Amino acid sequence: MTRYLQIWLASARYSITRTLMFRFDFFLWATVELCWMAVNLLLIAVIYRHTDSIAGWSKYEMMLLVGTAMLIQRLLFGFFWTSLFETARNIRSGHFDFFLAQPGNVMFMTTTRKIDPDSLVNTIVASAVIIYSANQLGLQPSLGDIALYLLMIFCGLLIHYSALTLAISLGFWITNAQGIEGSYFTLFEFSRLPRQAFAGIANVIFVWLLPAVIVSNIPAQTLLHGFDLASALWLLGAAVGWFGVACLVFHRGLRRYSSASS
Amino acid sequence: MLTAFHKYRHVFIVGLQGNLVYRWNFAIRGFFSLFHLIVVFILWGAAFAGKTTIGGFDLAQTMTYFVVLLMMQFFIGAFNEDYQISEEIRNGLINQFLLKPINYFLYRFTIYGAARFVSGLLFLIPLAVAYPFIDQHLSFPPELWRLGVGLVAMVLSALIQFSIAFCFGLLTFWFLEIQGFVILSFAIESLLGGQMFPLDLMPEWVFRLAQYLPFYYQMYFPVAIFTGRIDQALAVQGLGMQAIWVVLLLAFNHFLWTRGLRRHTAVGG
Repeated sequence: MTRYLQIWLASARYSITRTLMFRFDFFLWATVELCWMAVNLLLIAVIYRHTDSIAGWSKYEMMLLVGTAMLIQRLLFGFFWTSLFETARNIRSGHFDFFLAQPGNVMFMTTTRKIDPDSLVNTIVASAVIIYSANQLGLQPSLGDIALYLLMIFCGLLIHYSALTLAISLGFWITNAQGIEGSYFTLFEFSRLPRQAFAGIANVIFVWLLPAVIVSNIPAQTLLHGFDLASALWLLGAAVGWFGVACLVFHRGLRRYSSASS
Repeated sequence: MLTAFHKYRHVFIVGLQGNLVYRWNFAIRGFFSLFHLIVVFILWGAAFAGKTTIGGFDLAQTMTYFVVLLMMQFFIGAFNEDYQISEEIRNGLINQFLLKPINYFLYRFTIYGAARFVSGLLFLIPLAVAYPFIDQHLSFPPELWRLGVGLVAMVLSALIQFSIAFCFGLLTFWFLEIQGFVILSFAIESLLGGQMFPLDLMPEWVFRLAQYLPFYYQMYFPVAIFTGRIDQALAVQGLGMQAIWVVLLLAFNHFLWTRGLRRHTAVGG
C-alpha cells in the first residue's frame, strides 16, 4: 500500500512539474472547465427565472446538486481522466505494453499515471458553489455531516471511475474504442437531474439499473436532509459493485491484449 | 465556373466516400444524442410541472425546439473540422493544396458539406426510431414561409459554423495545440448559440445583445424560425445580420489564411 502511494506521489510530482512547464496550457484548460461549469449554472439560473421548483427542488437545492455533480466530475478529471483517455489510445496503438512491464498492478499503473492540476483547481470553484448554495439554504452541517458527505462524494467518484474504466476496457475487445469515452459524458448528464424527476422506465434504467442519478443525488441529499443509512448503503454497495465489475472486466480484457493491432 | 463546379463536385464525392467509412460512428453518435434528448425531456418536463407556458411557449413547443436543434447539429454543426484543418497544417498535408489550383477554404467547406450530408441523413435513423415516443410532444407552427426563410438561414448558419471552425483550425499557424481554444469556444457557442436553452428565455437585454453576436446565428436563429419562436419581421432582419456576419467571418478567414501562410514553412517533398 505504501509502495503504491509512493508510486502515485512520484506520478503526481511529474504531472505537476509538467504543468509548471506549460503554464499557458494550465490557465487555458482551467478557464475552459470554469466556462463549462458556468454554462451549467446558467442553465439552472435561466430555468429558475421562469419556475420556482424542478421536481420539488428549489433553485439553491438544484445548484447544490449541480455543484456536487461538478465536484465529483472535477475530481475524476483531476485524478483519472487523462490516464484513462490515453489508455484507450494505448491499447489500440500498442503503447500499452509499457504498462505491462511496470512493477505494479496494471490497472493502477495505467489509470493513475497522470493528474490534471487544472481540473483539481476547479474543485475549489465547485466547492464554492456548494458552500454558497448551502449558505443560501441556511444549512449548518456539523463536522460529522460534512465527513459523511465527503464519504458519499468518494463513493460517487469511485462509481464514475469504474464506469469510465469499463467503457475504456471495451477497447480490449473492439480495439478501436476511440470516442467511446463520449458515452460517459452522455450517461452522466443524468447526474445533474433530481431523482424525483424520473418516472416510469427512465426511473428503472437511470436510477435503479445505472448509477447515473444516485451518484450525485445521494451526496446532495445527505447535505440537504441529513444522513440516511439506506441511501448511503445503496451508494456504497453500488460503488463496491461497479468497482468490482470494472476490475473484473479490465483484467479479463487484459488477457485478450495482443500488443499493436495495426 | 463550370470547371470549378466539376472540381468541387469531385471533392464532394470523395468527401461522401470518406465519411461513409465512418457511418457507424455517426449512427452511434446519433443514438447517444437521444440520451441527451431524454435528459432535456426530463429536465424541462419537470420545470413545466404545474405550468402551461415558460417564456410564452408551452412544453410541446419547447421540446420541438430541442428536437430541431439536435437535428440541426447533425446537418450543419461543425463537429471536428477545426481539428482536421489543424492536423493538415501541423502535418504539412496542407502543402499539396498550396501547389494546386484549389481554394483550400472551398475544398474544406465542400468536405464539410459532404460530411454533414452523411451525418444528417444517418441521424434520421435514430430519430425515426424515437419518433413514436416523442411524436405527442412535438408542435410545429403552420406558416409555410418559415420553411423557405428557415432553409436560407440554415445555409448561412452552416457558413458561419464552418467559418468559425476554419478560423480555429488556422490558429495552428500560431499555436501548436488548439484543443483548449476549441473547447472554450464550444462552451461559449453552446451558451450563446441557444444549445443549452432557448435564448429568448434569457433576460431581455441579454437576448438583444446576443442578436448582435455570430453565435446567435449559428444555431438558435434557424431553429427559432422553424419552431415559431421568432416572427417574420425579426426573421428577415436576422437574415440581414446573418449575411453581415458571414461576410465578416469570410474576410477574417482570408486575413488569417494570408497571415498564417507567411509563418508557414513547408519542408520535404
